[in-house]
Amino acid sequence: MAEMTDEEKKAQRAKDLANESKSAKAQLKQCDRQVAMVFDLNKCLGCQTCVIACKTQWTRDEGMEYMWWATVNTQPGRGTPRDWQQMGGGFRGEEPRAGQLPSKRDFGEAWDFNYEEVFYGGKGNAAHLKPSGDPDWGPNWDEDQGGGKYPNSFYFYLQRICNHCTNPACLEACPRNAIYKRKEDGIVLISQEKCKGYRFCMEACPYKKIYFNHVTQTSQKCIFCYPRIEKGVANACARQCPGRLRFVGYLDDENGPIFKLVKKWKVALPLHPDRGTQPNVYYVPPISPPRIDEQGNLDLTKPRIPTEYLKFLFGDDVEPALEILKTEMAKTKAGGKSEILDTLIVYEWKTLFGPFTTDPSTIAPRKA
Amino acid sequence: MQCTKVSAAADQLLDPAAAQWASVPAEELTMAATPLANQPSEYIKASRDEKAIGKCRSLKVQSVHNGTEVFFRLSWGDESENDKEVTDTNMFPDGCGVLMPIASGDTPIEEMGSKDVPVNAWFWRANYKPDEARNTTARGLGSTVFSKKSPIRARGAWQQGTWSVVFARALSVPDLAEEAVQLALGKAVKVGFAVWDGGSGERAGVKSFSKEWRELTLEA
Repeated sequence: MAEMTDEEKKAQRAKDLANESKSAKAQLKQCDRQVAMVFDLNKCLGCQTCVIACKTQWTRDEGMEYMWWATVNTQPGRGTPRDWQQMGGGFRGEEPRAGQLPSKRDFGEAWDFNYEEVFYGGKGNAAHLKPSGDPDWGPNWDEDQGGGKYPNSFYFYLQRICNHCTNPACLEACPRNAIYKRKEDGIVLISQEKCKGYRFCMEACPYKKIYFNHVTQTSQKCIFCYPRIEKGVANACARQCPGRLRFVGYLDDENGPIFKLVKKWKVALPLHPDRGTQPNVYYVPPISPPRIDEQGNLDLTKPRIPTEYLKFLFGDDVEPALEILKTEMAKTKAGGKSEILDTLIVYEWKTLFGPFTTDPSTIAPRKA
Repeated sequence: MQCTKVSAAADQLLDPAAAQWASVPAEELTMAATPLANQPSEYIKASRDEKAIGKCRSLKVQSVHNGTEVFFRLSWGDESENDKEVTDTNMFPDGCGVLMPIASGDTPIEEMGSKDVPVNAWFWRANYKPDEARNTTARGLGSTVFSKKSPIRARGAWQQGTWSVVFARALSVPDLAEEAVQLALGKAVKVGFAVWDGGSGERAGVKSFSKEWRELTLEA
């Protein structure tokens, strides 16, 4: 057999290393079950209670000021971080796709307010509460601007957390194998021990849901409230949502609403499925009001929200999903019953949370 | 590569601008991009061009010891100083490192050690506190682990487009037998170097390195 040249040896070694890395990644991605969420976009009021619930629970420390692991943004809109949908990342086929690093300004810096002056400085009647400096962006800057032209203007709210993807781009990108899926529930975590703050994960995440903590010099993100999940308590964002639109459960629980909405009835879809990460957060797409024509009459033939826009967000499956929802609505309008709509209405709040209905006030607080 | 004996005190030598360094012979090393094919991340491979990696192409290395401590002075050209404080998500500090195998045996310099031949890397970053340097051990690509306590000190200064960084460490560090290379007078050790240009987003394995091991002899 001919001896390998140095070049061939190098190429062979690179291949071996790639295979080693590949099998390490495959292990980190493995999980026995997968927790998931479904958000019903038709029910969100944009009240931001979920956002604040998350903020107060998880991102109050120094270095986390600008972090909002849960966000709600008006669509169409630039989102959080600003223009994240144009920042690349994810996969093209099997191949990872380059992405950009958003800056803190893109996320929207944490603003300081003149609380002291207004509330305690004796100027309550003269000074207005306002952020210091002259901010030109924030995590919910373009609220309620939306799209379309009067009288056909429209908007809806899009709730976002880390998607705890089945094929996480962040996990694939990390050169230290610091990112892994928990075996028992598929929650994606960044080991704060292993992370060195290199931020390839931030670049690679097509949803831009990873943040850099400049105090710990590590990357951090939504942890799907795993300490609550472990105790049978639903996520803070879901539990506090007054709109009953955030379903939590296991994707394979055939009796649970998540399985039914996603797998059985196919009315809940992942955001930007084309990014190739297989998200485990799903959305019931928004049902449009009808258009209004030039004479001011209802034009029932066209939806107010352009279907192309919904396809951009949720892929081609959004059309059949909306058809199913419309059929079900027609059914109930005619006096019939719809299991799908009953599930989405959520008559009993506990049906939102699968096995995670434990009252958080019954859990003993962790010792500090 | 020679590590010559001098009689200066550690605090003097730790200053990159110290007069003592002017008379120490320097070796100019050609630096190159780390091979993209070896990066332990398919994302890094897909998103980078090897030609654009490794901004530092030439590194000047000087080395001395004073009988108890060893010193490396690294200097290289860098148009921008990045950054004393890393406060934004897209900021990366400049940095440099010294690499030495802990055990005897062959390990390619571009693989950051192996299970059998761990390597010891001394790290300095522009955003570290004054005199701070970190001790890390690696057993393969992407496996560096910081030691809880670092026996290394380092001081860096950027002036007129040039970084100069001095590392200092006791020759032997018995507390870190597993985590650090033990040096002795008259003994040779393999050594390699790396530089990160933070302004170009270089971090982790995306850096320039000195391509092959050099043999460093500590003058007896």
